[in-house]
Amino acid sequence: MVGWWVLLGTLAGGLLLGLLARARNGRIRATQQARTAPTLPAPVRELLDPAAELTLVQLSSTFCAPCRQARAVYEQFAATASGVRHVELDVTERPELASQLGVHRTPTTIGFDQAGAEILRISGVPKLSDLRAARGGTSPVE
Amino acid sequence: MTTGEPANASASHSIDPRGPRFAAWLTTVVLGVVLVTEWWPVLLAQTAVFAIGAFAGPGFAPYGVLYRRLVAPRLRPTSEWEEVAPVRFAQLVGFVFAAVGTVGFATGVVALGAVATAAALLAAFLNAAFGLCLGCEAYLLVRRLGQFGGRTAH
Repeated sequence: MVGWWVLLGTLAGGLLLGLLARARNGRIRATQQARTAPTLPAPVRELLDPAAELTLVQLSSTFCAPCRQARAVYEQFAATASGVRHVELDVTERPELASQLGVHRTPTTIGFDQAGAEILRISGVPKLSDLRAARGGTSPVE
Repeated sequence: MTTGEPANASASHSIDPRGPRFAAWLTTVVLGVVLVTEWWPVLLAQTAVFAIGAFAGPGFAPYGVLYRRLVAPRLRPTSEWEEVAPVRFAQLVGFVFAAVGTVGFATGVVALGAVATAAALLAAFLNAAFGLCLGCEAYLLVRRLGQFGGRTAH
């Protein structure tokens, strides 16, 4: 009898978690307290392209299928939007880098402006249309 | 992306992503049965299935073989391919929980068996129903805890 309750509870919890994750997946969040370039870890600072208006640094890990899907979306976005660059940083062997950036899951993508200040964060796999809308200014970032 | 086999498919670096989803549904059912019946030999068998998937690779995993023999021929060819590494990692996580669960049920520590089985069930269900990889989500967290543990041990 207890087994049935554990089963039901686990499935209900899973349903809740899954819906929550789905709602959060790929949402573009504007960064409130901008982190400026000098405080960034060196490996991230080196990736920033001073020529690009927006550099998207995607933190990925080896064991991560959505990282691959996210990469495909960002690459397509960067290829079709002007002034946008996408770079990927594998943190599988460097989790301390992720914690310095306050990143707890992969893929998480951090957007930096030309000055190297963080302006947005996206966890999970974004929709190409959302990225374009945010970039085009038709729909401001949340 | 083309519908043909990717160049490296023969080297089994990538697989049809619907295979692991199918396997996750089967795993969900098996683990559900274990939770209700507390019958540890079934969990032991599932532990072996996880072990094959994790250590030999999804190409040898029993549910994956079932998918390719019975299910895939009835579906349209896939246009998406998934890397093998994340799937193996997920199977490894499942293996650890299922092994602990088996020991729990087999030695009469039912609470341990139930908690470990429920954890594996949660991961399998999230993967099956939402395509969510709990291992990916938790990897960085686990690594950080591991590092913290390592540091305090010194």
